[in-house]
Amino acid sequence: MPVIEVKDLSYTYCPGAPYEKKALDGVTLSVKRGEFMGIVGANGSGKSTLIQHFNGLLCPDGGKVIICGQDTSVKQRRDELWKKVGLVFQYPEQQLFEATVFEDVSYGPRNLGLGPREIRIRTEDALKKVGLEPESIADLPPICLSGGLRRRVAIAGVLAMQPEVLVLDEPTAGLDPLGRDMILNLIKKLQQEDRTTIVMVSHSLRELLTLADRIAVLENGKLVATGSPKEVLHQKDFLALPGIIMPDYLQLIHALAGRGKKVNTGISAMAEAELEIDRLLKEICGK
Amino acid sequence: MKGLKLGQFVRGNSIIHQLDPRTKIIVCLVVIFSILINYKWYVILLNMSLIAAVIILSRIEPAKILRSLRKLRYLFLLTFIFQSILTSGEPLFHVGSVYVTREGVSLGVSTIFRLMILYLCSTLLTMTTSPLKLASGIESLFAPLRRLRIPVHQFSMLISAALRFIPTIIEEAQILTRAQRSRGAQFNSPSVIVRIKSMAAVLIPLLAASLQRADDLAAAMESRCYTGGSNQIRISKLRFGKKDKLALGLVSLVFLVFVFCI
Repeated sequence: MPVIEVKDLSYTYCPGAPYEKKALDGVTLSVKRGEFMGIVGANGSGKSTLIQHFNGLLCPDGGKVIICGQDTSVKQRRDELWKKVGLVFQYPEQQLFEATVFEDVSYGPRNLGLGPREIRIRTEDALKKVGLEPESIADLPPICLSGGLRRRVAIAGVLAMQPEVLVLDEPTAGLDPLGRDMILNLIKKLQQEDRTTIVMVSHSLRELLTLADRIAVLENGKLVATGSPKEVLHQKDFLALPGIIMPDYLQLIHALAGRGKKVNTGISAMAEAELEIDRLLKEICGK
Repeated sequence: MKGLKLGQFVRGNSIIHQLDPRTKIIVCLVVIFSILINYKWYVILLNMSLIAAVIILSRIEPAKILRSLRKLRYLFLLTFIFQSILTSGEPLFHVGSVYVTREGVSLGVSTIFRLMILYLCSTLLTMTTSPLKLASGIESLFAPLRRLRIPVHQFSMLISAALRFIPTIIEEAQILTRAQRSRGAQFNSPSVIVRIKSMAAVLIPLLAASLQRADDLAAAMESRCYTGGSNQIRISKLRFGKKDKLALGLVSLVFLVFVFCI
């Protein structure tokens, strides 16, 4: 049974106002338990609006959203969803507010009504997961940390609630390459070791191609492609899609194919592209 | 918050939008003073009809403005209740020892209308005037105060910056509210203390972000050689045209007659 089921979902901002905007239009999507779902789309394609439906922050205008078997159009169920679905917003470091890292990370567990021992265990566990030493960092005020560290603390704050489903909105935006790899590895590990269902929004196709089991592509509030990375690359011509940049190795492969070279354009991973180019070079040198 | 933000500028090209900001500010002041000085029914009627005319001319959807009035319904209700029971006069009926008087009811109704007029006229001003124009209007109106060494330019810069960031801050508060709600903050908990604590989770980061932004804004302005002095020139000069003279003349005449003569 899917953890997240979206059926024909529509959502409009400011209905009736001059700024009216249909953010989502007939989106149908499902995410299985333990799966890594990537959502890709340009700015304003409705990605953030879609994932806010996943933990009950928004109520569907049309269609249905069913999370862990619960229909989110019922307000009471919507208000309970935060316990199951952890949502990491864009630039989550901006929501830190407590005086120390420990207090901030334990905010979620405290709201869950856990005992002090359990809170301590979960908080320290979450800090370790994001690669921070609880002993050295727990008592520091969040303000004195760097942006990248604060981002990790904020993510730990969501992990400490041990959600069944973790939804992340562009978790790597504005990070340096090292910080980005760290976060991406963390997310993959959560899926593989803790069996957490992951939904990750990004406009970097490259990140999702290597990490996600399935990818959904949004364009102007509509779902235009969905499937495994290879299927999605096959279904949708990303070169023509504005706002999303193909990974450089795929651009190269497509450019080669465009020049009439015999290369397999149905690949998705960097290693496959390497093999293709290697093969092609050998072919040319052999002649 | 779904929908239009309170008093947010709505781009448009109506007659009201085209009027000089100074005209609109002065008319706004005239309305406010008239309603504070004199609250007979005909003054209220005159003000309401003026506001109705402005709404029609500005081509802003009336439903939207009326919807924003709904937010003030508790204020109106409380005002009405207190006015009607605390004013002495001819009693209409009583519940226990609390008497509702005829004078109280009529005062209550007129106070609601006065509050509504105050609210509508300032909302209409900000809805039809861009923050930039509003600031230059204020600056130009207060220009004589410069002789008294009052920093008029800085003052108007302050106002326009504040107006400019209202929608931004509302949006940010919204995002923070959602973020904290998904970490279990209870904004509709029955306990007041829990609610206040949840609010702190929004207000603290909001304040921190605002201070940060103020810092960035100051740096951005200084890096473009802004010194806040008097050697600034506005790109679009205000023009006090025929329309403005006509509008201002008409409004002042009608109000003078109504407020003082009748």
